[in-house]
Amino acid sequence: MGKLEGKVACITGGTRSIGRAMAEAFLAEGASVVVNGRDPEKGEQCLAEMGAGDRATFYAGDAAKQEAVEGLIDFTIDRYGHLDICCLNSGGVLHSAPVAQMTDEEWLLEIDWNLNHVFWGMRRSLHHMLERNYGRIIVTSSVEGKLGKPGIPGYSTTKHAVNGLVKAAAAEVGTTGVTVNAILPGIIETDIVRSTGPESAKAMGLPGYDELIALFCAESAIKRPNKVEEVAAVAVLLASDAGRNMTGCLFPVDGGTLPY
Amino acid sequence: MGTLDGRVACITGGTRGIGLACARAFLAEGARVVVNGRDEVKGMASVDELGGGGDVHFIAGDVKRRADCEAIVAGAVSRFGRIDILVANAGGGSGYAPVAEMTDEAMEDAMVWNFWHTFWTMRAALGHMVPQGWGRIMAMSSLEGKVGKPTISSYVASKHAINGLVKSAAREVGTTGVTVNALCPGAIETDTMVAAGPGAAEAMGISYEQLLETFANESLIKRLNEPEDVANVAVLLASEAGAGITGSLISIDGGTSPY
Repeated sequence: MGKLEGKVACITGGTRSIGRAMAEAFLAEGASVVVNGRDPEKGEQCLAEMGAGDRATFYAGDAAKQEAVEGLIDFTIDRYGHLDICCLNSGGVLHSAPVAQMTDEEWLLEIDWNLNHVFWGMRRSLHHMLERNYGRIIVTSSVEGKLGKPGIPGYSTTKHAVNGLVKAAAAEVGTTGVTVNAILPGIIETDIVRSTGPESAKAMGLPGYDELIALFCAESAIKRPNKVEEVAAVAVLLASDAGRNMTGCLFPVDGGTLPY
Repeated sequence: MGTLDGRVACITGGTRGIGLACARAFLAEGARVVVNGRDEVKGMASVDELGGGGDVHFIAGDVKRRADCEAIVAGAVSRFGRIDILVANAGGGSGYAPVAEMTDEAMEDAMVWNFWHTFWTMRAALGHMVPQGWGRIMAMSSLEGKVGKPTISSYVASKHAINGLVKSAAREVGTTGVTVNALCPGAIETDTMVAAGPGAAEAMGISYEQLLETFANESLIKRLNEPEDVANVAVLLASEAGAGITGSLISIDGGTSPY
């Protein structure tokens, strides 16, 4: 008997890395899952690799676009009858730069991708969850939601903002059976970090990608990157009945990086 | 197949409340468990409650004494051959009063019970865990390890001290396979709360019922937490999945703590 038997989850950015690990962990605990991503080909590959049959579905859409995020919520409810767990996980940077060199395009993209996407998904989910007096909203924030590093100002800003959004929303719905939490991973070598890391490293004034990873590891107590499975395990806890009394929490999975 | 198969856990104050819930959850995940308490009779009752058998062992001892703390850890190793998980869970306070009227004895009692006991058991456990390259230490801190409340400064100071100890120790052993974390529960109506709550309430000038109501109202869920809420997080931190979480002060408080 899994901890999420009969539950339905949707995950933005769910075909790879952290989102994918969440999807696999949820499926292993008996849930049905809709994974979202931009690329239908990668979506189909993800479904094939997970091999969960009817319990897993792919929904194509860009998490930086309102219609895609709201469409994912509506699609999930339509596909599986209801929505219990909404993981707003997608996010990142594309062409990051120090504030002085930051373009409007990049700034607005990061606001849409990291912050507005969470707001859109949270609002749409709450409409459904509050009617049922049950729900789990889990936001993938970051250690940068409490810190600040040079060269990635948009990322730090938006991750700080989602932490505030999580706390405010948790306070609004605290007695309704819906919980709202954020997970704050340390550095994880996800596909998005691998693809945009070299450019971010340059913006941070570092020689290259390896130095970027080394900088994050050096700040931790464990001196290594975190793993996607470590984040997924916390997501399962927060999503399960065992998590019913944890809300408004910023849960670090960062190998001891954060000072508070 | 449990997530703690083959592990040996040691829990101070493990015969009741949060400690007992942790013991039950660890056993369910396949660990062998040593529970500690002061009272032999209550201890044996808790062993029975946990299903008895060879996987549970009771060690009597008063955590306010260094020798007892060291004997509890040594006793776990002697009984089961190793120690993988320590939950320094016992704790409490007495003689609550505003700082201006607080006695040395009351401050010392809370510091010994909460902080020194955590230090003594942590130090002893690290001596086994670091050489074996694997360990999980969880200190039972509190919401009051992050925020202050009037008239219980002894409790608040000792729990804040635990959080500092946890953060330093986690940095020291970060690369050794040993994690060190603090659990910060909100108010739970455990036996300790039933015993010490009325005194704390009196010092605050309110009734015990009003005290519980105050705690619940501070939270977002407007109710108290339960021992199982804490035990579920303890299982996660104790498992392989918890390897990447250390030096953290995990709130299990229904959204009460501001950070």
